[in-house]
Amino acid sequence: MADAMETIDVTVKGAALAAAAEGRFDALPIYKPEIECAPREEIRALQLEKLQKTVAYAYERVPYYREKLDEIGVSSSDIKTLEDVRKLPFTDKAVLRETFPFGLFAVPMDEIRELHSSSGTTGKPVVVGYTDADMDMWSECIARLVQMAGVVPGDMAQMAFGYGMFTGGFGLHYGLQRLGCAMIPAGSGNTERHIQMIDDYGTTVLIATPSYAMHICEVGEAMGYDWEKSPLRVGLFGGEPCPPGLKAEIERRMHIVCTDNYGLTEVMGPGVSGECLAERFQQHIAEDHFLWEVVDPETGEPVGEGEMGELVLTPLCKQGIPVLRYRTHDLTRVTTEPCACGRTLARMDKVRSRSDDMLIIRGTNVFPSQIEDVLSGIDEVTPHYHIIVETRGGMDALIVETELRPEAFRDSFEAMDGLRARIAEKLKGTLLVAPEVRLVEPGGIERAIGKAKHVDDRRKK
Amino acid sequence: MTVSQISVFANSRPGHMNRVLDLFEGAGVSVRGFSAADTGEYGILRFIVDKPYEALEALQEAGCACVISPVLCLKLVDKPGELSRVMGVLAKCGINVVYSYSMISTYIVLSTNDPERAHELLAEEPVELISQDDIARIVAERVAKEA
Repeated sequence: MADAMETIDVTVKGAALAAAAEGRFDALPIYKPEIECAPREEIRALQLEKLQKTVAYAYERVPYYREKLDEIGVSSSDIKTLEDVRKLPFTDKAVLRETFPFGLFAVPMDEIRELHSSSGTTGKPVVVGYTDADMDMWSECIARLVQMAGVVPGDMAQMAFGYGMFTGGFGLHYGLQRLGCAMIPAGSGNTERHIQMIDDYGTTVLIATPSYAMHICEVGEAMGYDWEKSPLRVGLFGGEPCPPGLKAEIERRMHIVCTDNYGLTEVMGPGVSGECLAERFQQHIAEDHFLWEVVDPETGEPVGEGEMGELVLTPLCKQGIPVLRYRTHDLTRVTTEPCACGRTLARMDKVRSRSDDMLIIRGTNVFPSQIEDVLSGIDEVTPHYHIIVETRGGMDALIVETELRPEAFRDSFEAMDGLRARIAEKLKGTLLVAPEVRLVEPGGIERAIGKAKHVDDRRKK
Repeated sequence: MTVSQISVFANSRPGHMNRVLDLFEGAGVSVRGFSAADTGEYGILRFIVDKPYEALEALQEAGCACVISPVLCLKLVDKPGELSRVMGVLAKCGINVVYSYSMISTYIVLSTNDPERAHELLAEEPVELISQDDIARIVAERVAKEA
């Protein structure tokens, strides 16, 4: 470990990134090293103990799980190793909908301190409840990951998520307070006021969706605000996937270090995993609170170590709603190799695609994340895009709208159509499906404040 | 002697031209001629204005994709065969007119693949070449008259 003389002051703008770039991760503070840096056998032993308790708790308290477990004849005493988790039934989102609103709650309502719900983009929302212990565990998970991202006690954190039923707003709010930050609960919208508050209050941390952070960046630039001189140092993103190209662009233009974290309402909300500054494409899972599995989305069978598959999560000792083996539909892979940051907690690849947002176009599987990757490698366009799928003459047509950068405009249809053809060619090379590319004027693609809507599937079902 | 044309990338949707015109109005820029061509998805709007740099600045501040480029502006004598005569001068020398549009009455704008050579050739012909200052002056005179 570094001695005190070598410890850097991460509150200096850019210091955390600079230390990370030099590989001096021991200079970066860790919130709970006794867990985050524990030997893997210790973590696994803790997980097994908590899994056994979780199964017993679910059986005792939730009729749905008692019925399910009785049906297959499994009880907590059958859980002798972590691999025995495979004996348990999966829980899908449908179960949470069928038992709406409180069917899976394991405690009386007087023990619930807060309710949250998912956005309910398809069908009924999912509602979840947190006990005091759940709130405590949730705040700690967030405190760990924001510290991982370069936040320190004393930081002033400005919230640009909407609060409301969405878990992101309050989750980050509580976690940042737990770490010792001052919260500025500005909420979403009113971009110019956000910039004014950053300047007036000396805000050092901004919590936003990446697309809204980009919008704040652009509005600030248009107002003549100097991001380099701004007190803002850290961006905490969430609410939607963050394309690497967009993150890099925000870091460059706003002069901040940006990370994102992963979580879902059904198992807790944000805080399941978070990005450290050593591995920018991965996130450390809070393994003392979540047991992860990676399974084949078709068969539900485990995939090999380090292989891509669907993430399945079992929250450990969560009191409000004890969910067993929740099918996230998020595709990722997990490594348990030690990380350069010093943490031993397993790392999952950032979720770039979901098993259910895969588009099948003329028989070929296409993920929006593939389109995003191709576009982020083309200098003439911004990372914003929109996908339309239509039926034309009985065939699927894939239309990709991408935003022209002002400096890439040429007063020539030949040049502009050449650019369109070049983008279409690159997309076809990756997707194996020829798309139609439409160029959209700068700012022409809507910047979503909540979950960015990237796909418009107009095919008749 | 060339004139500065402002070109703007715009999607072919209602209101997109208006947005540009509103920006011009806000910047006190007067449009003297324009052309709008499109491919169905997107178009290029081209403008001849009295104050091209003010126009460019207003567009850039609003985040528009726009460029400024030199074009020739000719005043034709209003009689049959005159357009053909002028085009013929360039055609004979292998200069391609990429696009052309007319401004107020007989004022026309030509964008060519060789603006300098095209200018030299036309300067030797009985046709009036219009400067950026002329455009600004005509507008200024009219404003003065109305005041």
